[in-house]
Amino acid sequence: MAAGWQQMSPDINRLRLAGRLLLRDWRAGELRILLLALIIAVTATTAISFFTDRLQRAMLSQSSELLGGDLLLQSPRQVDPSWLKEAENGGLEWVETLEFPSVVVSGEHLQLVGAKAVQDGYPLRGVLRIADRPFGEESPVDDIPDEGRVWVEARLLPLLEIDIGDTLELGSLTLSVERVLTFEPGGGGNLASLAPRVLINYADVSRADILRPGSRVTWQYAFAGPELAVERYKKWLGPQLAPSHRLQDVREGRPTVGAALDRAEQYLSLASLVAVLLAGVAIAMGARRYSERHFDVTAVLRCLGAGQRDILALFLPQLLWLGLVGGVIGVVLGYLVQFGLFYLLRELLPTTLPAPGLMPMLMGFLTGITVLAGFALPPVLRLREVPALRVLRRELAPMPVRGWLVYGVAIAAMAFLMWRYTGSASLTLSVLGGAAAALLLLGGLALVLLRVTRALHSGVGVAWRYGLNNLWRRPMLSISQILGFGLTLMAMALIGLVRGDLLSTWQTQLPEDAPNHFVVNVLPDEVEAFRSFMQARGLDSAELYPLVRGRLANINGERLSERLSPDDERAGAVHRELNLTWSDSLPDDNNIIAGSWWQPGEEGEALVSVEAGLAERLGVELGDELTFTFGSGEISAKVVSLRTVQWDSFRPNFFMIFSPGVLDPFPATYMTSFYLPMQEKGELAQMIREFPAVTVIDLDRIMEQVRRILTQVTLAVEYVLVFVLLAGFAVLYAALQASLDERLYEGALLRTLGASRRQLRAGHLAEYALLGALAGLLAAGGAELIAFILYKQVFQLPYSIKWLLWALLPLLGALLIGAAGYWGTRRVVQRSPLVVLNNL
Amino acid sequence: MSNHPEIKTIVSAEGVGKQVATSADSLTILEGISFDIQAGESVAVVGISGSGKSTLLGLLAGLDLPTTGRIHLAGECLNDLDEDGRARLRGAKVGFVFQSFQLLPSLTALENVMLPLELAGVGGAEEQARQLLERVGLQTRLTHYPKQLSGGEQQRVAIARAFAISPAVLFADEPTGNLDALTGSRINELLFELNAEQGTTLILVTHDEKLAERCQRRIRLDGGRVAADES
Repeated sequence: MAAGWQQMSPDINRLRLAGRLLLRDWRAGELRILLLALIIAVTATTAISFFTDRLQRAMLSQSSELLGGDLLLQSPRQVDPSWLKEAENGGLEWVETLEFPSVVVSGEHLQLVGAKAVQDGYPLRGVLRIADRPFGEESPVDDIPDEGRVWVEARLLPLLEIDIGDTLELGSLTLSVERVLTFEPGGGGNLASLAPRVLINYADVSRADILRPGSRVTWQYAFAGPELAVERYKKWLGPQLAPSHRLQDVREGRPTVGAALDRAEQYLSLASLVAVLLAGVAIAMGARRYSERHFDVTAVLRCLGAGQRDILALFLPQLLWLGLVGGVIGVVLGYLVQFGLFYLLRELLPTTLPAPGLMPMLMGFLTGITVLAGFALPPVLRLREVPALRVLRRELAPMPVRGWLVYGVAIAAMAFLMWRYTGSASLTLSVLGGAAAALLLLGGLALVLLRVTRALHSGVGVAWRYGLNNLWRRPMLSISQILGFGLTLMAMALIGLVRGDLLSTWQTQLPEDAPNHFVVNVLPDEVEAFRSFMQARGLDSAELYPLVRGRLANINGERLSERLSPDDERAGAVHRELNLTWSDSLPDDNNIIAGSWWQPGEEGEALVSVEAGLAERLGVELGDELTFTFGSGEISAKVVSLRTVQWDSFRPNFFMIFSPGVLDPFPATYMTSFYLPMQEKGELAQMIREFPAVTVIDLDRIMEQVRRILTQVTLAVEYVLVFVLLAGFAVLYAALQASLDERLYEGALLRTLGASRRQLRAGHLAEYALLGALAGLLAAGGAELIAFILYKQVFQLPYSIKWLLWALLPLLGALLIGAAGYWGTRRVVQRSPLVVLNNL
Repeated sequence: MSNHPEIKTIVSAEGVGKQVATSADSLTILEGISFDIQAGESVAVVGISGSGKSTLLGLLAGLDLPTTGRIHLAGECLNDLDEDGRARLRGAKVGFVFQSFQLLPSLTALENVMLPLELAGVGGAEEQARQLLERVGLQTRLTHYPKQLSGGEQQRVAIARAFAISPAVLFADEPTGNLDALTGSRINELLFELNAEQGTTLILVTHDEKLAERCQRRIRLDGGRVAADES
């Protein structure tokens, strides 16, 4: 009796056999496409993971430079020492600084300043920047003012008519003005600190004897340490905070930077997901071809006695080996690629980048395995079903894998990856939902389109008929290719669309000559003089807006406190005093979305226009009556319009704009913003001398920060797009390869029967151009759908139909896929028919 | 070496029929086929193209199941086995030689012959395979891939592979159909020699009457039925 199947050590035998098959398949070139796609996927994801990981950490560290730490706690009194103990125990450094408004004196001049008292260790993150003379070249320093010294903001000097080296008085102390302060972490960008800043030594506070009970002092505690420790401490601290405490982390610390970071993160993760999805499609196509090319071998193996489990035992290790090899190569390549990326971007990135972590490598590898499992497993599992009878009847193929298995596994894999990448369930669901809906819809649509094009059949020549027949004859293959190409085009369109729109949103927010200075506290009787001052110097300022501080008290007679609970986050803005203004014309970048702006005749009537977002949060509608209280009285006004406002335009923006005249009874000051080129900064001193009461806020630094981040994001986005493109080409390549065997055979037959090369080539061109056009049509629809969902749900931007897509994508598809198909099938006509037929 | 003890009847078909569904209705390929084949017999299944020869071979070898009737192979009823059970039986008892050779293109001649031994978990597979290839005259071609071998050489490798597990039954489907006359007759010689040496039951599908004449028994098919069964 022959040795039984289960005797001996079949496992080792099978493993050896699997290894040998893998090696042979590799040598025969069977695995190259699959491996290539896998490597692209892993390289792309690893590189993107590395890149985004390090960039995100770099961006965060830039934000922490602004904040002066990873976490900033502001408190009206000294905090319980146990809080600081807990921070130390958790591995965090901390430093305490004091912020208080005070008056400095020099000779006859008095000036309100924002003082900050710092001690050794400050700043925990970022550096102080100083200059030797007002508006001079700035440079970083790593020390702080000694006792008896003060560093001051440049605009203080003309106000006090002093210079570097002179003295000023703070409380009972005389301090020597040592340096010009140009940037201080943990305070520089704070719009509320309108007074000029001065920096003193912590020890001088008690000597100056200026802090009394009731003084408005803010204790600031900056914390810094490992990310996890910061997170843990934040969680610990959160529940103990009183309403008077304010805790900021790097994300919330600076609203503009925080929003840019959020968008950048969302964008980069979206782009990397698209690259992964495309690589997945390429892998699915590669795996399908791999599987189909192994039908014969499997049938022979079945014939020779291999059971279904043995077939799996032979092919699954191959997949595993492939995953390991492709994963490792991809991770190494990804690691190298990200270095190149950072090298190219070195001018724009912070000089000290966080070192590459292990996580991205793991992420890339895991992604490779997941994509392989999700997209390659179903076709390979199909091998199990190859009938042994195929050795006699070659046309017998295994039943196609059940749809739910293929798509289920792939979707599960994608969902897992998306969730792992974005950490956002809503982003995952919206992209996945959009993709799933699009796939179903597009698949059906592709079939319909394919049917429709059959009408072309009678009107075309033999070459075209051959090409078009190729499409109709294998509807499933055609549909999957249309979907594959369509998905690629869709991804590219989506990337381009979202990127163009997001960036143009950013760019319009930040034009080159965006206002870089705010001026507040222009007195009413100085308005005209101020205007002429600006005009004389050719400074283009925004409108001068009057500013009245008031509080929203009632809506339709109902007290706000009854309408909203005190900790209702929706109404954060109305718990504070609001900056109220009036205007006879709508600010340029505001848009009315409901109601209408007042006409000249309506002046005097108490009307108010409300920012749309606030109106929604408060439940305010057109026609509602809002009552505002001021120190000395109150006013009611009817809501006649709702406006959108560009908060990050660096222009004066208001929640509430009144019709002219309404606020006349209340004292107002005026504010505006303007652009001043760097080399004309000297004008500021002149301005302060002529209008001593005004406060100038220099936004350049904040804007520089924002602009730098945006530039980095733009570049990052473009690099990510390269990977998406690479993955797209992998799909194209895999799809061409998938049908190449059959084409070679048919081409050889047709040529044997007398078809000319030209006819064959025309046929291929027709087929692929039509395929590309159909794919482009589908891509336009898909991109439109997903973009709509993304804009509405994720980015919260307005959306309009992109008609250009519908013209451009089919054309692009026809050109791109037509050319690629023409090129990819050249072997079909170049090889001698005899060679092809003999090789079968 | 006698791996298969005294089973008198090694293959039997009882009222075997095969229908396949077509788009319109069902097509009958085989109908009412019954015969027994004794161990050690050499049988040619002959008939014109489309008479159902290859289908019958597939059924007898357990590559497919009949629509009606029962088939026994090496003491087991194929109808009672699932596909994996039939695969196990094939792996242990059955050898195949095909018209199109069916060598694994990614394996060398030696590895192709080792394959069934490895699948069956037999030790010393390489040595055994080497001897078999020597026996079919390919000792100098061990490390060649199928593509590098001529048709006749490929079929020799296939024959060596078929005899590797010392099968109880050897099924051959037009073994010389793809070869020229001279090469074909040499392959036939080899096939019958090895068959005699190993005492294997040989079931051969062919439309080559001369080849059929060399078998002890000829089952002639016509329109899916046994038209003659002559010894």
